[in-house]
Amino acid sequence: MSRFFATGSDSESETSSEEEPTPRAPAPAFTFSDEEEDTKRVVRSAKEKRYEDLMNTIKQIRNFKKIKDMSSMLSSFEDLMRAYTKAIPVINKEENGVTPRFYLRCLVELEDFISEVWEDREGRKNMSKNNSKSLSSLRQKLRKYNKDFEEDIAKFRENPDVADEDEEQPKSDADDDDGSDSSMDWDDDSDSSSSDSDDDIPGMSIRDRFLKSRTTGDKGDDEERKERKKERKEKDRKKARRDEEEDDDDEGPWVAVRGGVALPSEKPKMFPKDAEVDIPLVVKKLNEIVAARGKKRTDRREQIDLLHELQTIADQHHLGVAVDIKIKLAIISSIFDYNPKVSDVMKPEYWAKLLERISETLDLLMATPEITIGELVTDENENLEKPPYRIRGCVLTVVERLDEEFIKLLKECDPHSNEYVQRLTDEKRVANIIDKVQEFLERQKVPTDLCRIYLRKIEHLYYKFDPNVLKQKKGELPATEVTSVQIMDKLCKFIYDKDVTDRLRTRAILSHVYHHALHDNWFQARDLILMSHLQEAIQHSDPPTQILYNRTMAHLGLCAFRHANIKDAHNCLVDLMMTGKVKELLAQGLLPQRQHERSKEQEKVEKQRQMPFHMHINLELLECVYLVSAMLIEIPYMAAHEFDARRRMISKTFYQQLRSSERQSLVGPPESMREHVVAASKAMRNGNWALCKDLIINDKMNAKVWDLFYESDRVRGMLGRLIKEESLRTYLFTYSHVYDSISMDTLAKMFELDKPIVHSIISKMIINEELMASLDDPTQTVVMHRSEPSRLQSLALQLTDKVYNFVDSNERIFETKQGNFFLRGGNQGQFRQNYNRQDWNRQRRENRAY
Amino acid sequence: MSGSQKLHLTSKIMPYLDHHLILTLLEFLHANKIYGSETMLRAKLEVLSHTNLVDYMKDIYESLSCGTEDVIEQLSKRRNDVLKQLAESREEGVTIIDILSDKNVHTIMETTRDAKLLTNHLMKNTQFKWEYMDTVYKMAKIQYECGDYGGTSTFLYFYLLLMPPTDKNYLNVLWGKLASEILVQNWDVALEDLNKLREFIDNNSFGSSLQLLQQRTWLIHWSLFVFFNHTKGRDLIIDMFLYRPYYLNAIQTMCPHILRYLAAAVIINRSRRAALKDLVKVIQQESYAYKDPITEFLEHLYVNFDFEGARQKLHECDEVINSDFFLVACLEEFVENARLMIFETFCRIHQCISIGMLAEKLNMKPDAAECWIVNLIRQARLDAKIDSKLGYVVMGTPPLSPYEQLIEKIDTLSMRSDTLQALIERKVKEHRQESFMYG
Repeated sequence: MSRFFATGSDSESETSSEEEPTPRAPAPAFTFSDEEEDTKRVVRSAKEKRYEDLMNTIKQIRNFKKIKDMSSMLSSFEDLMRAYTKAIPVINKEENGVTPRFYLRCLVELEDFISEVWEDREGRKNMSKNNSKSLSSLRQKLRKYNKDFEEDIAKFRENPDVADEDEEQPKSDADDDDGSDSSMDWDDDSDSSSSDSDDDIPGMSIRDRFLKSRTTGDKGDDEERKERKKERKEKDRKKARRDEEEDDDDEGPWVAVRGGVALPSEKPKMFPKDAEVDIPLVVKKLNEIVAARGKKRTDRREQIDLLHELQTIADQHHLGVAVDIKIKLAIISSIFDYNPKVSDVMKPEYWAKLLERISETLDLLMATPEITIGELVTDENENLEKPPYRIRGCVLTVVERLDEEFIKLLKECDPHSNEYVQRLTDEKRVANIIDKVQEFLERQKVPTDLCRIYLRKIEHLYYKFDPNVLKQKKGELPATEVTSVQIMDKLCKFIYDKDVTDRLRTRAILSHVYHHALHDNWFQARDLILMSHLQEAIQHSDPPTQILYNRTMAHLGLCAFRHANIKDAHNCLVDLMMTGKVKELLAQGLLPQRQHERSKEQEKVEKQRQMPFHMHINLELLECVYLVSAMLIEIPYMAAHEFDARRRMISKTFYQQLRSSERQSLVGPPESMREHVVAASKAMRNGNWALCKDLIINDKMNAKVWDLFYESDRVRGMLGRLIKEESLRTYLFTYSHVYDSISMDTLAKMFELDKPIVHSIISKMIINEELMASLDDPTQTVVMHRSEPSRLQSLALQLTDKVYNFVDSNERIFETKQGNFFLRGGNQGQFRQNYNRQDWNRQRRENRAY
Repeated sequence: MSGSQKLHLTSKIMPYLDHHLILTLLEFLHANKIYGSETMLRAKLEVLSHTNLVDYMKDIYESLSCGTEDVIEQLSKRRNDVLKQLAESREEGVTIIDILSDKNVHTIMETTRDAKLLTNHLMKNTQFKWEYMDTVYKMAKIQYECGDYGGTSTFLYFYLLLMPPTDKNYLNVLWGKLASEILVQNWDVALEDLNKLREFIDNNSFGSSLQLLQQRTWLIHWSLFVFFNHTKGRDLIIDMFLYRPYYLNAIQTMCPHILRYLAAAVIINRSRRAALKDLVKVIQQESYAYKDPITEFLEHLYVNFDFEGARQKLHECDEVINSDFFLVACLEEFVENARLMIFETFCRIHQCISIGMLAEKLNMKPDAAECWIVNLIRQARLDAKIDSKLGYVVMGTPPLSPYEQLIEKIDTLSMRSDTLQALIERKVKEHRQESFMYG
């Protein structure tokens, strides 16, 4: 193309470029490809459009000519014919039906070229099959086609030098000025050799001559143009250098090459020396720089530097807050862009810079209330000159991105190193920034945005323990003191109310529950999780939310345990513990997989989901709590159902531990936490509560587990009491058959429990038909009823149970096939629910009682 | 605030009631003399200021003797306004009043309760127009404000009969009807209205679930009036509060204090002991949100088996019930049943109890307790004997031997198998007949 335009006379092109500076203005200096140029164009007349189509195709053909790609040339030629037929109406209208010269020129050139190639037999032989085929068909087509223009072509050949400028030059210049300029520079540097080789073609050589003369004329002609060009040239050179650099990018020798030296030398070239720096100019420059964003050849590092430089210039000229913010936003996004891969981590120095920029920007935003900033403000709507300012941009996304980067940074660090701690200190700044944004958004009062920023804040808040909460609960702090629980309450409630996407609400609920559980607000946490009905739907949500759910359940379990709700604790934790993949479920590390290796992709994805170390939940504590809860439930149950055929396992994991220890021929003193719990379970089985308690609560276990609780003494006290109670139950289950009666006083003494508690426990057992006994009030004894079945009897009972099941399932089958024929009263329903062999007993009594 | 005042639910209930209904509660409290007379009167005034019961207000001002001339004058002015309003509305609705006082219409309304028939009749014989219905609604409202509840209920009855449930005022009218029936203490009709209203609320979707929850909460509170006054109320309250999940949820989330009434209702209802288990579960679940002697009594008795605690709570219950508007009527029943519950649980656990201890646990004198137990034994509700020499009650509950257990299980088994077999046979027979007929 450049060669083509170059044929145009100098004066013409110059003046036109002088006359029409406006349409050129938005075109950025960094234009590399033609497509880019096209998108920049605004409104064009039909003629311009058609001509341009033609031009583009012609240009393509020329390029193909250079590389002798016949097949592409053929297709382009076909395109050209089509474009020309489309353009005919316009041509008829505008030029009275005279074929434009540039079109003719192309045809002529093409003809020459083809005949030349055709003549060159040697070359033709060497051509690929595809190419030679295309060549012959192209030749035929062209010959046929040219017949239509025979006259014109003949005329053209007579004097090819009469320039065709009058038709096409003005418009082409206006359109493509920049593009042609820059590519011209390229030609200057590198292309001369190739053009030389084409010299024997008449049209070409002339153009080359023109081109060269024009460039020289150019330089002499126009000051500003020269200036710009120089700059561009330098950039081009830089680009070239950069290209080289990019090849050995990873090693980073470019750090050494660049550095501070290049910067000052560039500075004066940002704007012409005498130009008046005002807002439109700066914005234009900014747009130019930003437009290169995301391109392959853009040096991201340089972009950042350029933007910084621009900012200093803007600062020097006091262009106002809005411009400042606008540039800062651009800097922030270019820093974000610095890493080409999303999964990679930012460099610390850029991270620091980023933090600074963002907080600066926010401070500015906060200080000037008359700024509107938003995604909805279009580029055209922007108002940077005077208040009320309007700027396009979104602080919220910036902060969200920042937060993500921060977490990535943390994950990359070794959690046991100093570096991690250092990084973690930045948390405060990030939280600060989030607070600022929150304040800023609260001013604007857009509920969806507020929801998002609140959730960000929640995510920084929910896992942190605030001792003030517990102090306040005990009344040590006044109720007016705002603790993190109150803040969470406020934020979460807002989200519950205003959120429209379900995801935010789900996450808010889970975080809220987590926070409550962390601060021992057991009832609130329980009610919230029950009311949310999340348990049913959680497996359909995204993995991060599921992870959060798992974390929440873990803490809920711990909280229940602290509140002595052993059953709830067990239920919360059982799902996590059963699989043996707690680590993965809580996203606290990857386990090696046995069956199949992870693919790289998968591993990457999973790594991204991991929690940063400071948010981890102590797995040993979790497991210990789970095992102890399982022990407290399972051991009495085992004792009560020793001969029961239908005994189920309550906790599989606990069973495994127990059995593996039983399998050992020689059991040493307990070392690990698990061994302690197993040994304690064995002691409890024999009703030896003192040993059991010693094994659960001792120095080793304290250090490993219990001291991790906030009020560990309270937990230990609770645990001791529960161990006693459950041991008592186990004892009664196991040894009741050797007693005829036991005095409750003795029991109380044996287990060091208060008598009312013993009474209450035994009463409960009697009422629930677990213990076949009754109390004798005057003597304060428990009188056992001999109802333990003999071996034969228990077998018979088991048999009836099985027969019973059989009948049940028969009925069920019949039901499903035929619909319900059985009128099942409450009685029969109860049969199924209670599997205890004493059921009958109980029911008869109830019937009698009422 | 003294202890008994703390246990009062009136303040918790009031936000969910109509002003006129609140007045009845306040009257009761006033008569009960728990709060000072003056504070009560002031509270009443506060409530009355939202109504048009001007004469009543005047009375109170007089008894407070603080009514300055201004106030009195204002009141009389307002009274005139109200009277004028009343007269205006009467004038406006004169045709309606005529229609309603027509005997024919009356009989049709009473006997057929058929909207179509009634409209036909009205269209033919009177100058009835649909536009009048708005007037009916307005008139009813004014009359209600002035305390003429009987009149209101006739108007609203008429309205409900004619208008389809899709009418925009339908819900309001239902509420108004219920309120006026409660206030004229027409419990049968009130119960009917209550059910109608409940169905309406359950079947219609309101704007948001929050609104629905609110409606239900209101209904729960209003229904207390009906349930504790209607003879069938004691069963119905359990059915509605405990076994309708929506209402149980509403109680748990909005008004856990209702658990008191539910608990009391279950305790006095001897035939619904099965509900106890469910109730105790709910009470335990909500124990952090609401607690009072009645629920704690149940918790002590059925969760901790702490008879001493239960006894204490029973004692406290006395006071609570005495000062509760809804429960005051069933005090004796409550105490009797609570005692029985303690005793039953006792018997299930013990095989031998000394009467002295029992009497203490039951809040009775030993003699009375003995008498009570004798009565129980005589009515064959208890398999026990009294050892009068030692003062013991000895339970006669021999444990079931495994043999008996076995027999009992097998017993039903054979029966069930029999029915199953019979059913299958019948099916087969039917099948054969069919195939015989068609094939």
